[in-house]
Amino acid sequence: MNSTVASEYSSEIHTTPIEHRFNPYSDNGGTVLGIAGKDFAVLAGDTRQVEGYSINSRYEQKIFNVGDDIVMTANGFAADGSALIDRFRNQLKWYKFDHNNKKLSVASSARYIRHLLYSKRFFPYYVSTLIAGLDDEGKGCVYSFDPVGSYEREQCRAGGAAASLIMPFLDNQVNFKNQYQPGSDGTEKKPLRYLELDEVLELVKDAFSSATERHIQVGDGLEIFIVTKEGVRTEYYPLKRD
Amino acid sequence: MVTVRSESNLKNATMNHDPFAWGRPDDNVYGKYNQSIAQAKNNELDAFPKMHTQQPIITGTSVLGIKYKNGIIMAADNIGSYGSLLRFSNIERIIKVGSETVVGVSGDISDFQQLERILEELVISEENYDNQGENNLRAPHVHEYLTRVLYNRRNKMNPLWNSIIVGGFDNDKTPFLKYIDLLGVTYGSSTLATGFGSYLAIPLLRKLIPDDKDYSNIEEEDAKKVIQECMRVLFYRDARSGEKFTLVTVNDEGVKFEKDVEVTGQSWEFAKNLVGYGSKQL
Amino acid sequence: MFLTRSEYDRGVSTFSPEGRLFQVEYSLEAIKLGSTAIGIATSEGVILGVEKRVTSPLLEHSSIEKIVEIDHHIGCAMSGLTADARSMIDHARVSSLTHNLYYDEDIQVESLTQSVCDLALRFGEGAGGEERLMSRPFGVALLIAGIDKDNGPQLYHAEPSGTFYRYDAKAIGSGSEGAQAELQNEYHKSLTLKEAELLALKILKQVMEEKLDCKNAQLASVTKEGFKVYSDEATEKIIKELNEAETED
Repeated sequence: MNSTVASEYSSEIHTTPIEHRFNPYSDNGGTVLGIAGKDFAVLAGDTRQVEGYSINSRYEQKIFNVGDDIVMTANGFAADGSALIDRFRNQLKWYKFDHNNKKLSVASSARYIRHLLYSKRFFPYYVSTLIAGLDDEGKGCVYSFDPVGSYEREQCRAGGAAASLIMPFLDNQVNFKNQYQPGSDGTEKKPLRYLELDEVLELVKDAFSSATERHIQVGDGLEIFIVTKEGVRTEYYPLKRD
Repeated sequence: MVTVRSESNLKNATMNHDPFAWGRPDDNVYGKYNQSIAQAKNNELDAFPKMHTQQPIITGTSVLGIKYKNGIIMAADNIGSYGSLLRFSNIERIIKVGSETVVGVSGDISDFQQLERILEELVISEENYDNQGENNLRAPHVHEYLTRVLYNRRNKMNPLWNSIIVGGFDNDKTPFLKYIDLLGVTYGSSTLATGFGSYLAIPLLRKLIPDDKDYSNIEEEDAKKVIQECMRVLFYRDARSGEKFTLVTVNDEGVKFEKDVEVTGQSWEFAKNLVGYGSKQL
Repeated sequence: MFLTRSEYDRGVSTFSPEGRLFQVEYSLEAIKLGSTAIGIATSEGVILGVEKRVTSPLLEHSSIEKIVEIDHHIGCAMSGLTADARSMIDHARVSSLTHNLYYDEDIQVESLTQSVCDLALRFGEGAGGEERLMSRPFGVALLIAGIDKDNGPQLYHAEPSGTFYRYDAKAIGSGSEGAQAELQNEYHKSLTLKEAELLALKILKQVMEEKLDCKNAQLASVTKEGFKVYSDEATEKIIKELNEAETED
């Protein structure tokens, strides 16, 4: 005779613990884009911050003038984004202490940011990073990064929630992809040219109002940082709040 | 196989003093304990991986915050829940930090108490030790500090399981209201709410202040009225909320705590019209 | 000055009551025993010239290395216990490479010099808990020549004391007193690179005991094309030019 009665539970065997693991990441939505012109560069982003289906804030700054006429944004997981920017700002200070107040070039910033990102290769900053400014020759430049530090210089790049909506638009309107000379029957590509600042600003506004229509995480406000040889200035335009 | 023992044997039954089987009968009473039943093994410590990671145990629900023209108002109820059990009913979740800043905490209560100690240390070192009692520790500093604490803990995969609202004055003396959570995510707005409040209270608060900058037109009474309405709605619909709450006002006259404020103007008329969800069937 | 030894001679990092670190001061003496090295900065670039003591006709003169490359845009000449320079040069090369890795640009000459000098005081424990790297101060001084985008051609003198100064022209080593005086007489801002080559060799010739030739002297330059050590033939040619010019006078 058995001393104990077999219960229902006896057949239920867990070989691994039931894990309710803490998830260290979240997605705070928002979208950003950078375009380089002949003698200027812009970085633009919406000002909405979300979590799930809730709007945390209708105005939370996510593009920053980090100094030396370089503007930077890190879009995705907001806590990582601000940590990355804080770390870069700090390093810029140290660069100035160590190198006689030398101005940090955008190319050097980009290389340094790669190391910040790659040094967390196995616990990445969950962000798409963009920086913009003027290169050594005074031409506009935009650098874009993946979360673990791959980077390249580009004429334009969209990042964040609505990147996949905006990027093809930019390919077409900035780099004239799939645009051909009239009458050439699709044989002769439309020649590349630098866009003027007012053309770029119109593109940015169109890109964001369209992204606002189609993406729930985009909206509320549009903040544009413009870098020229005169310095950095910002413009703000309201976006739909729905 | 079990040996059946006589009653006299049972009288001499001894207790197992092994710390992992404390209080059970000794093996020689009923035989060896069958631990294969219902996972009664007590060796989790060996079988489970080491876990930092936790879940909140005793929790506090929503904290609400709103800016108005002279300052900010914050509210949080006094309940500490143990899952769905109302475990504690006198917990104060809004604390004063320095002389003109308040911090409201929802989420795990023990982590909140840890934060309380951390902030007390901060006040001692910044206000008393470093600055001879000058009023240098203001809301933006407390907010930044808490952000660092919470973000560093999340980096260690050992979070402080809280959502926090910091209220007070900015460096330029304008009202300050910002949020931080266990991930280190921060944001500011004229109307803030944690937890359930972000679904139930935010729409009501934003009805009063649709545009962030418009808080400067809002009177204290109007802000307070809306906060009280939010606390009522939360009491109706948030099962872990309580009827009693603390309401804190920070303005140029200082920090004013109103404790044991009750949710007023309740009406449960709607309940009799509810159909379904286990209520009375028509 | 150093005739009386005292108990303050024992610890490398112990101040004497007059506020001196004797071991550091002695290390400066070690440099005065070294072969002469000269650096001259011009607007076109920097010239480094060193004396090589070929102590035996059986010695392979090219094995005496007193001018080395740190990076493509920085070179350095040394005087004193040249073996000590090994670790400094290593550190400098790593610093330059690391800077390029992190910033995708050439390190500035001053920053490089600073990073070498950071090593100089590592014979004691650092305030930040840095371990003690060396048993004594370096016995070598460096003339660091380089060029960068912001400040153009530059010449720095780095001492075992960890201090460094920028010079238009500087001589170190046994013949430095006479050489420095001569540099002061001859240096002017509009010196060309060619003139600097001749001046460096002329001064070396004056302060050296042996007859100047391409075996016991070496030249190097840093221009916007980068660092370059002159070949024996090139040096010989300049020596010839120098001799011809002197016979004309």
